[in-house]
Amino acid sequence: MIEVKLHDIGEGMTQADILTFLVKQGDIVKADDPLVEVQTDKMTAEIPAPMEGIVKEFTVKIGDTVPVGTTLLKIEPLNSKLLQKPSVKMGKKTENAFQTSSSINTKSKRVMAAPFTRKIARDNGINIEDIQGTGPAGRITEEDVLHFIQNKSEQTTLLVNRSERENRRNDSLAEFPTSYSVSYSGRRKQIGTKMAHSLYSIPHCTHYEEIDVSNILQVKADWKMVNKNISATAFFLKAVSLSLKDFPIFNATLNEKEESIHIYNEHHIGVATDTKQGLIVPVIRNVEKKSLLQIHEELKYLTVRAQENKLSVKEMTGSTFTISNVGPLGGSIGATPIINPPEVGLLAFHKTKKRPVVDKNDQIVVRSMMNVSMSFDHRVADGATAVAFTNRLVQLIENPNLFMLELV
Amino acid sequence: MQTSVKTKTLTMIQAITNGLDTMLEQDANVVLMGEDIGVNGGVFRATDGLQVKHGEERVMDTPLSEAGFVGAAIGMAINGYKPVIEIQFLGFIYPAYEQIMTHASRLRARTMGHFHAPIVIRAPYGAGVRAPEIHSDSTEALFTHMPGIKVICPSNPYDAKGLLIASIEDPDPVLFLEPMRCYRSTKQEVPDEKYVVNIGEGKVCREGEDVTIIAWGAMVPIALAAAKALANEEVSCEVIDLRTLYPIDRDIIAQSVQKTGRTVIVHEAHATTSVGNDVLAIINDTSFLFQKAPVQRVTGFDVPVPYFGFEDDYLPTTNRIVHAVQKVMNY
Repeated sequence: MIEVKLHDIGEGMTQADILTFLVKQGDIVKADDPLVEVQTDKMTAEIPAPMEGIVKEFTVKIGDTVPVGTTLLKIEPLNSKLLQKPSVKMGKKTENAFQTSSSINTKSKRVMAAPFTRKIARDNGINIEDIQGTGPAGRITEEDVLHFIQNKSEQTTLLVNRSERENRRNDSLAEFPTSYSVSYSGRRKQIGTKMAHSLYSIPHCTHYEEIDVSNILQVKADWKMVNKNISATAFFLKAVSLSLKDFPIFNATLNEKEESIHIYNEHHIGVATDTKQGLIVPVIRNVEKKSLLQIHEELKYLTVRAQENKLSVKEMTGSTFTISNVGPLGGSIGATPIINPPEVGLLAFHKTKKRPVVDKNDQIVVRSMMNVSMSFDHRVADGATAVAFTNRLVQLIENPNLFMLELV
Repeated sequence: MQTSVKTKTLTMIQAITNGLDTMLEQDANVVLMGEDIGVNGGVFRATDGLQVKHGEERVMDTPLSEAGFVGAAIGMAINGYKPVIEIQFLGFIYPAYEQIMTHASRLRARTMGHFHAPIVIRAPYGAGVRAPEIHSDSTEALFTHMPGIKVICPSNPYDAKGLLIASIEDPDPVLFLEPMRCYRSTKQEVPDEKYVVNIGEGKVCREGEDVTIIAWGAMVPIALAAAKALANEEVSCEVIDLRTLYPIDRDIIAQSVQKTGRTVIVHEAHATTSVGNDVLAIINDTSFLFQKAPVQRVTGFDVPVPYFGFEDDYLPTTNRIVHAVQKVMNY
């Protein structure tokens, strides 16, 4: 009897939820036939049959959350002796049994690949025979395996939405035509867990401020005239970095265990980005050392990669402060940004709108105004410091000349 | 606290003389034996001046009889001496082969640990110095096959002294191979005092990421020159000097090969049944799944080392190593 176990299907998972069984007791399965659908933090995946055999017994239930290494079901190997006697408990599956008997004689494909290439495939739970080689004489190269892994993960996501078992689920849902549910899993669940943790563990306090961005928009417009198109966000990022220089307490992380606040000299600023897959935070490193143009280019590059879901782990980790630019989405008044733990502060930029403003001559003038919401960890910093920090930011953005002086 | 060590700039042959002198001074049981090593100071002057300094009873000229004086040395070793024998060239060792293989190497096993033979057999070896027939053999593999005898091969003055002292202090027989080509080719700072370089430990001479080049003896400088040339092509080579051929440092090979995934083994000995093949087996045993390309060997050819007119065609060259590295890189 072969025990089919939940193995690590990648990314160091430790456990998974059992979603569906794709076979029934007594079914005859071929090697690599999908048996069980499981869901990890990051994806839904099928556990395939390690070999040909009859499904004998399930050792877990749908809905169970089980650790890696748990036996999911047991399969009795289908040997040649059994095949010669198709009457053995095969019932209506007899036909299948004969089909499998022909495949049993099929020799596995011989592939050419360097041992290291085979190791990559093996480490990722991939049968190297499934890969088409593009190297000399059809040899499978490292790149072939890496492409295959990438394609496979994309396919796995697609498969979830199709297939027979999906229909099965829809059948049962037909009784409730007015509602439907989507899976709270994967990235959505990850975001949820992280947000809940942040809000439960960090005493959030949010300070709101409004900034007159008319002057900076004028500078931007002037530069555009000479073909230097720099996004407003790049300006804001640099202004945040300059403000963090004066108030480094917000460019910090809190380690409660060590009872220490780590204040960083480098400004690695995360930029919360809305994508089809949910909220992603690419990180622009060393904003304090970069020019506006560099920040602009990097931001553009990372945003595209975020939208295409191509960001590497390195590009998404290691931030010391986070900003969220909700302006393009439309929110103009304010919101409570949730801090990206273990960071200390998060600043949201809202939509810029033309509003009537009283100027220093008591005249009502039309100015481009933008609100910002500055959430901070009240354990680490106080309201007064947050106000001073935003004041500095306001000062820089409202006075482009002063801003430029800081850049010299 | 920093302590200063007194050093001298020495060639490998001078470092060996220095090591022998140090041990003659520090250990009364150490004696030197060999043909013309006393009055003449040896064929390469490794023992120059040592007889005058330490006396005829410590630095002995022997008759021209390798089997005889190696056999005598084994008897002396059993009785508490630590003989250091000089064979004029490795190619002249064969008359003593029976003594080394049948007696010295298995004495400890044969007597169940009651006796052992702490002898060191020094033998200049290798091609590249335009020596006559039989003087240039690189037959280290004949000795590494036999358990019970350690085989050492330094590539620079510092290692030569440290390994020689470690060999003299080792309780079992050691074949100490001295690459003639390295005798006077480079100089290095060598401490005056006694120090050891551990037997069985290889050394990373140059760190790299793409390819591991494994060599020993006179091939180490050639491998380093190839690595330098390849750096211009942006290929980063890690060069390993094995230093001890038996027992081989498996860990250093595995670590490096698992890092780079590509290997070139360089030795001047014949390819068949060579130490290089053992290195290949170690790579197979420890690092098979890390291999990105088949291991390449750059070696001497399976012919007797030719007369000096063709010597350069026989020996591995920088170009041959560069070519092999390109082959594993472009596999």
